[in-house]
Amino acid sequence: MSTPLTSNVPVVPSFFRSAVRVYELSLGRMLWSRRTLFMVLVVGGPVAVALVLRLLAALDLLSLTGGVDFVDSANQRVTIDGPGIFGLMVWGFYLRFSVPLLGVFYGTSLIADEIEDKTITYLFTRPLSRCAVLAGKYFAYLVSTGLVLLPSVMVVFFLVVSLLGGSIGAAFPSLVTDLALLAVGLAVYGALFMLIGTWFRRPLLTGLVFILGWEPIVAVVPGYLKRFTVSYYLEGLAPHAMPQDRAVTGILGVMQVSEVVPSVAASLIGLGLILVGGLSLSAWVVERREYVIEQ
Amino acid sequence: MNAAVVAVERVSKWYGQVIGLNDISAEVHPGVTGLLGPNGAGKSTLLKLIAGQLKPSKGSVRVFDESVWGNPGLFFRVGFCPEQDSFYDQMTGLEWVTALVRLNGFSESEATEAARLAMDSVDLLDAADKKIGAYSKGMRQRVKLAQAVVHGPDLLVLDEPLAGMDPVARRQVIKLIKRWGSSGKSVLVSSHILHEIESMTSTILLMNNGRILAEGDIAAIRDLIDEHPHKIRIRLSDPRAFARGFLDHVGLRSLCFEEGALVIETENPDAFYSRLTEVAASGALGDVQEVSSPDDNLQAVFEYLVK
Repeated sequence: MSTPLTSNVPVVPSFFRSAVRVYELSLGRMLWSRRTLFMVLVVGGPVAVALVLRLLAALDLLSLTGGVDFVDSANQRVTIDGPGIFGLMVWGFYLRFSVPLLGVFYGTSLIADEIEDKTITYLFTRPLSRCAVLAGKYFAYLVSTGLVLLPSVMVVFFLVVSLLGGSIGAAFPSLVTDLALLAVGLAVYGALFMLIGTWFRRPLLTGLVFILGWEPIVAVVPGYLKRFTVSYYLEGLAPHAMPQDRAVTGILGVMQVSEVVPSVAASLIGLGLILVGGLSLSAWVVERREYVIEQ
Repeated sequence: MNAAVVAVERVSKWYGQVIGLNDISAEVHPGVTGLLGPNGAGKSTLLKLIAGQLKPSKGSVRVFDESVWGNPGLFFRVGFCPEQDSFYDQMTGLEWVTALVRLNGFSESEATEAARLAMDSVDLLDAADKKIGAYSKGMRQRVKLAQAVVHGPDLLVLDEPLAGMDPVARRQVIKLIKRWGSSGKSVLVSSHILHEIESMTSTILLMNNGRILAEGDIAAIRDLIDEHPHKIRIRLSDPRAFARGFLDHVGLRSLCFEEGALVIETENPDAFYSRLTEVAASGALGDVQEVSSPDDNLQAVFEYLVK
């Protein structure tokens, strides 16, 4: 047996360096978890739908040119093409479903998992601030969820956009916008659910109630309540990521998307406040909270 | 006396309506200090306060003359081995210890070297590349200890580090703890088993019901055991004959017959044991098969001290 290495005069690592170390420790755990397998299945859904559409097109069951006729909420006949379908999938599958779900499952677990697994002590007895632990875990969350979600969006884009006469080249800028929008969604939902994870005793349940109960209900209730959702502000950015035509507008009407859409500036401010508020409050809570781990 | 490494001053800790610690004061000095008490005595609460994982409801906890709560810089000098048996099971022992010491600011190569030395110090180098999930309970205890010592802290806070270890591993860890203590560093180690603590140190803090009952040399605690009425159970061939022979024993308080055994309560155990040895050797009062003392344990001392 030998004597452990004795460190020289210790130098407190910077906040950023500490956060990077926590990120390195957390990323692998997050990526290779059962949660990731489940989320891969979730984001695999749109890919499967896109493949089916592609198959229908290959079998000549879906016209490859000219688009599909559709009757909107005003009872008028409109046509939707590949980029339109992609825009709808981004909205319906990703922004309204996958992003909040990823946010809930990963965001609430950032600290809660360490508490449940009783491993938080090992992180909190190292010479780094608890905020750095939180920041490192949040970065790992962004990378993990991004790696799960964004490739799926790209695959769907290339499968769907060229259908019904759509042009990949012309629609490519909208893919970039969509990816940015989804990244913003992941960041904001992540910050919000990280706060819930640091604060609440049953964070996953609370998060699921928020995305599956509160957000959908409030979205169809007239009034100001919808301003207390993330989806309301994301909606303000979403139309710019999707083709601006009557077909999309009509389908969004059928999907009961909020009748009043905030401006881009209002959306950015709203999302920014939720992001900064979520991160700051999480840091405030985690710095002050005692995590009582019982054997 | 050396300056206190840990100074706990009038500390109380309560969880809602439940009192974990009740107005305790204590100091820990360089060397090994044993924190002794039965389950639920408040040992873990005290160690978590010293390791900055809990905030005192009242009073102050200072480590190296600094307040420990919200002071992560202190963890360059403090190593904590918690009680809970929890790990990143999918990592190997070496990966885990390396990853944790990286959080102390060690570079990749420094961290790997330090982790190897720490694994070696707990005799776990051979299993360093095995997943923690495949470790035995004793190995898990030792890898937990490795993460506590890996950065070479000046104070080690160990919560029941010997729990679940086999005798060989136990001996190695006791040796390691003693070596740490004799090298001028400080080790605060908890246990609910007296002989475990005795094998590591003679300096103890004795706790029960959230209070410190006694502190100082373990011999004094032993004296308390010897001073208070002592029960001795003797398994023998003829309990009645034996009882008759001891009726004139000075300090005899009570006799109780059990099947094939006699339980004697005495206020003078030393005199009793020396006479018992003579009687057993002569065989005059029958065949003495086994002598045990149900009182010779911590619980008896606690009960005596809290009366």
